[in-house]
Amino acid sequence: MATTITPTPGAKSATADAARARKKLPLRPWLRALHRDVGYLAVGFTVIYAVSGLSVNHIADLGDPSFKDVNRTHQLARPRDTSTEAVTRAVLAQLGIDVRPSDVYRASDTELDITLTEEHRLHVDLARGTIQEEAREPRFFLRLANWLHLNRGKKAWTYLADGYAVFLLFLAASGLFMIPGRKGLLGRGGLFVAAGVLVPVLYVVLSGGP
Amino acid sequence: MARIEQRRRFIQRALAGTAVAALGGYYFLSDDLTRAARAESRKDGRPRLPPGQRVLSKLRPMGGEPSDTPPSRYRVKIYGEVEAPFELTLAELAELSTEHSVDVHCVTGWSVLGARVKGVPLAKLAERAKPRTKARHVIFEAAHGYTSNVPIAEALRPNVLLAQRLEGQALPRAHGGPLRAVVPDLYFWKSAKWLEGVRFVEHDEPGYWETRGYHNHADPWREERYG
Repeated sequence: MATTITPTPGAKSATADAARARKKLPLRPWLRALHRDVGYLAVGFTVIYAVSGLSVNHIADLGDPSFKDVNRTHQLARPRDTSTEAVTRAVLAQLGIDVRPSDVYRASDTELDITLTEEHRLHVDLARGTIQEEAREPRFFLRLANWLHLNRGKKAWTYLADGYAVFLLFLAASGLFMIPGRKGLLGRGGLFVAAGVLVPVLYVVLSGGP
Repeated sequence: MARIEQRRRFIQRALAGTAVAALGGYYFLSDDLTRAARAESRKDGRPRLPPGQRVLSKLRPMGGEPSDTPPSRYRVKIYGEVEAPFELTLAELAELSTEHSVDVHCVTGWSVLGARVKGVPLAKLAERAKPRTKARHVIFEAAHGYTSNVPIAEALRPNVLLAQRLEGQALPRAHGGPLRAVVPDLYFWKSAKWLEGVRFVEHDEPGYWETRGYHNHADPWREERYG
């Protein structure tokens, strides 16, 4: 007995909808979840690289951002004995410094330069009764961030930094597709991507490049 | 639809905020010190503040690799195309020093006006060294191989100094202490920090920054920043 199947109205479009739904389903939710989780993992690295990047970018204005130059002036309790040795002893005692100077230089009758380390010096002015203390002190966070950013430690950080770079590439790529938008990449998203690409290209062209 | 409206409002506010911040930055940059300096002129008729500069109240440390020579062994050599080369200790330089008020202009866009500097005019040291007639340029030689070049006529102007003190104090190491050149009428990179030698030469020798894209002459009034 022959059977005839008569297509019911609307059955074709229901099949097509189901196929579209199947196509839509897997990629975007996965992308969004991965983008979010990779974003979480990237927060610590991003803070380190961004803060260090800003400070290193402005190295010409700020000097070495890993350190701050300290310049303090102290009043000198004038010693009776103004020989080089006596003044040196008195100054170190007054400032509570228990370091043997690497150099002591009598620049004049009234001036004495005491070098404790390359980064720590005292200029004594007997005429004015002052001690000018010059030191270079590390900035805790910036020094660590720059040490990591500039990969001064090498070793395993090279691989971790490579991993972070791959994460950034993934974040950039997944960001393109995770929210469809009305026109996809043909709309505003496309314009922004083009602007992001054009800015460095134009900069190189207009500045004459390296 | 409501989300689209919200997004538009957010973008509008973000743009407005950016514009306000930019205008605030512009106002900040055109500060009182700079405005006052722009109204002044030098004796030679040029404006006191070169174009593209803003005034800071004190020198800004600009990096570089300080000298590691201890003061007791520090010497500066005056030599090259001269009849009587010589060396001076810091104490000998201090004896010859006098106080000067100088304006300095950094290529990055800041200037400090009327800085109180104590030092020896290079012209005074040149009188003793007696440059030969063929000497045309002066090379300032600093720690770790840094050099800068200045035409001899400009290097021997009375305001060009070998400076040891700034604002009544020993010149801080970050600013080139114990000894730096000060060449007020050229961009400040010409004023070599941690100065170890002044060499008179016949032929020009572009220095550290001059061979890295910066202008060979560096006149701030002509904005000779880049080569």
